[in-house]
Amino acid sequence: MISWEVLGAWLGAALVVWIYSFVYRDNVFYKFAEHLFVGVAAGYSISLALDSLNRVAIKPLSTNPAVSWHYVIAIILGLLMFMKYSKKYYWLARYGVGVNIAVGTALALRTTPMANIVRQITATILPLWTPDPVTTLNNWLLVLITLGGLTYFLFTIFPKKPEAGKPSLPYYVYRVLYTIGIYGMMVGFGALFANTIMTRVGFLISIYLQYLQPNAWASITAALLAAIAIIAGIVMGRSRK
Amino acid sequence: MSFLSKVEKVLSARELLYTLLLVAVIAPILSPIGLPIGISSRTRDVYNYIENNLKPGCHVYVEVYYEVAARGELEPALMALTKQFFDKGCKIVYGSLISTGPIVFSLMLAGAPDIFAGKEYGKDYVFLGYISGGESAAASLAKSIKGTVKVDNYGNPLETLPLMKEVDSATDFDLVVIVSSGTDTFNYYVRQWYTPYHTPLLFAALSVIAPSIEPFVGAKQAIGMIVGQRGAAEYELLVGRKGLGIASMDAQSISHLLIIVFIVLGNVVYWGMRVTSRGGGRK
Amino acid sequence: MVVRRVLPQFIVSLVIILMLIFYFFYINDDVAKTFSADDKALSDWAVIISSFALIVGGVDIFRFHLTQLRRGGLKQAPFSVVTLIAELTMVVFGAYGLALSYLNPALGITITTQPQFRWLYTYVYAPSDSAMYSILVFYIASASYRAFRVRNPMALLLLIVAIIVMLGNTSLGALIWPGFLPLRDWIMTIPNTAAFRPITIGAGLGVIILGLRMLVWREVSWMGRRE
Repeated sequence: MISWEVLGAWLGAALVVWIYSFVYRDNVFYKFAEHLFVGVAAGYSISLALDSLNRVAIKPLSTNPAVSWHYVIAIILGLLMFMKYSKKYYWLARYGVGVNIAVGTALALRTTPMANIVRQITATILPLWTPDPVTTLNNWLLVLITLGGLTYFLFTIFPKKPEAGKPSLPYYVYRVLYTIGIYGMMVGFGALFANTIMTRVGFLISIYLQYLQPNAWASITAALLAAIAIIAGIVMGRSRK
Repeated sequence: MSFLSKVEKVLSARELLYTLLLVAVIAPILSPIGLPIGISSRTRDVYNYIENNLKPGCHVYVEVYYEVAARGELEPALMALTKQFFDKGCKIVYGSLISTGPIVFSLMLAGAPDIFAGKEYGKDYVFLGYISGGESAAASLAKSIKGTVKVDNYGNPLETLPLMKEVDSATDFDLVVIVSSGTDTFNYYVRQWYTPYHTPLLFAALSVIAPSIEPFVGAKQAIGMIVGQRGAAEYELLVGRKGLGIASMDAQSISHLLIIVFIVLGNVVYWGMRVTSRGGGRK
Repeated sequence: MVVRRVLPQFIVSLVIILMLIFYFFYINDDVAKTFSADDKALSDWAVIISSFALIVGGVDIFRFHLTQLRRGGLKQAPFSVVTLIAELTMVVFGAYGLALSYLNPALGITITTQPQFRWLYTYVYAPSDSAMYSILVFYIASASYRAFRVRNPMALLLLIVAIIVMLGNTSLGALIWPGFLPLRDWIMTIPNTAAFRPITIGAGLGVIILGLRMLVWREVSWMGRRE
C-alpha cells in the first residue's frame, strides 16, 4: 500500500520536472503544474491571512473584548476593502486601504531619516589620513565612491558645460565624481551579478537534492510524460500548419 | 561560414549550456570532489560575536522570512545558527512576516531532529507563526509580542508558554536574526527594531540581495551578515554540523566554473568576430 | 465627493500626523504611555487590514479564473478549472482547520497543522514554488553567455569584479589563488558598500518624499479609479 507521503513525494518530483520542461518548450504538463501552483498558492495565501487574522484579532476579541474592542474598527475597515467589487460603493474600500498605507507610511517616515540617511552619512565621515595605508585607501574609496554615486543621482541641479568658453571648476569636480560614481556602481553591479549566479545555482542544487534525487523514478516517469507531450505538441503544430 | 561563426553557433545553442549546467550540478553531487572550504573572516566574526556575547539563558528572536525556493540558500544557515544558539543555552522565539514561514519552519524542524532533540517547545523555543502586515507587524511585535498575537502557530496561548513569560518586546532580546530572501525585511528590522530600540541585528541573506544590504552592515546597524549558501557552508563548518551548505559547495564550484568559461568564450568569440569582420566596425 | 475622496485623504493625513506625534513628542510619562498604546493600536489595525488585503488578492485570482472559464475557450478552461479547484480545496481545508481549533481545541489542530492542508503545501506548493524560482538559473546562464560582452571599460570592470566575486564565492577559487576569498570580502565591504550607499540614501529620500506627498494629498494613486 502506497502511503500519502510517498505519493506526495512522487507528485512533488513530477511537478518539478513538469515546471522545468518549460525551459525546453511550453507543454500541457507545464500548464497543468503552473495552474495547480497558482491555485494552491492563492488558497494558501487566503488561509494564512485567515490564520493571522484569527490569532491577531479574533482570539483577543473573544477572550478579552474589554481591551481589544477597537479591533472591530479595523475589521470593519478590512471588510470595506471588498467593496472594490461594487460598481456603486467601490469608494468605501479607500477607507481600509487609506488607514493601512497611512500607518505604513508613518512607520517608515519616522525612522527612515535616521536609518537610511543619517547613519549612512555618519558611516561615510571617515579619516582620510591614517597611519595604516590600507585603512587610508579604504576610507578614500568609501568616501569618493559614495560621493560619486550621490553625484550621479543628481537629476535636477548640477553644473552644466557652458556652450562657449571654458567649463568652470565645479563642472570638472562634478564630472570627476560622476565618473567615479559610475565606475563604483559597476563594481557593485559586478558583485551583484556574481551573487545572483550563486543564488540561482543554489536553488537548482537544492531542487535536485530535495525533490529529484530522492524520487528518481517518479522524476524520470514525469520527464518522459513531458517529453511525449512536447513531441505531440510539435507534431500537432506542424500538422496544423 | 568562418570558424568563429561556427563556434558562436555551437555555443549559442541553449540546449548545450542547459545540459552542461545540469551535469555540472548533478555530477559533483553524485561523485563529490571534496574541495576544501575556506572560512572567510566575516563569517568567523559573526560566529565569534555569538560565542563571546551570548550567555546561557539569553534570548534570540529569529525572523524566518523566505520562500520555499530559497531553502537551499537559507535553511543551512538557519539550522547552523539554531545549533549554535542551543549549544550556548539560548532560547529562541521564531516569527514570520511572510506567509510561507510556517512551511519553511516545519520543513526546517523535520530536517534537523538532532538540533531540536532534548529541546522543549514552549520552554526552549516558540514559533509565533505568520503575522501579516509587513513593517506594521514588525513595529507592533517590537513593542509587544503578546500584545500583537495571542496564540502561537499551533494554537497555544502565549501566556501559557514559559519562554513567553521571559520576553515580550524588542529590548528583551539579546540578538535578532533576520533570515530573509527579501530586501524589505532587513529595512523593516533596521527601521523598527534597531533604530528605536538598538537591539543588535544579524543578517542571513540570500546571496543575490547581500550587496544591496551591505550599507547597513557597513554602518554598524547590524553586527554582521551570513551570505547565502557559501556563508552557510562556512557556518556549518564552524558549528560542526554538515548539511546542505557543505554538500552543495562542489556543485556550486563546477557550475560557477562553467559559467565563467562561457562568459570568457563569449567574449573571445565576440572580439574575434569583431576584429576579423570587414573594417572592424561595431556589430 | 467629500466622503469619496476628501475624507479618505483627510484620514490618511490624520493618521500620519498622529503617528509622527506619538513617536517624536514627549510631554510626561503618562502621556507617553497613552501615545505608545495608541501607536501600537494603529499598527495592529494595519496588521488586521493587511490580512483582508491578502484575502482580496486571493479572491481576485478566483474571479479572474472564473472569467477565463467563461471566455477563455476550450484551450484555457480546463486549466482554469485546475486553479479554481486547487484554490477552493486549500481554503476549505484551511477553514476546516480553523473551525477545529474552536470546536475541538483539545485536538491541537490549526490551519497550518490541518493534515490535508499540510499535505498540500508540503507536496504541491513547496516543490512547485521551488521549481518556479529555480528555473531562472537557465536563463541567467544563457544571458551570461549572450549579453555579458565587454564593449567598453565599464563593462570590463563589471566583468572582472564579477569573475573575482564568483571565484571567491566558490571553494574552487581558493585552489586557483587563495587571495580570491579575502579579495571578495574586500570588494563586498568597501567598493560595493560605497556603491550601494547612495542607493540606500536615495531609497530613504524616496520614502520621505512619498510620505510627504501622501501627507499633503499630492499622492492619490492608492485611491484607485478616478471619478
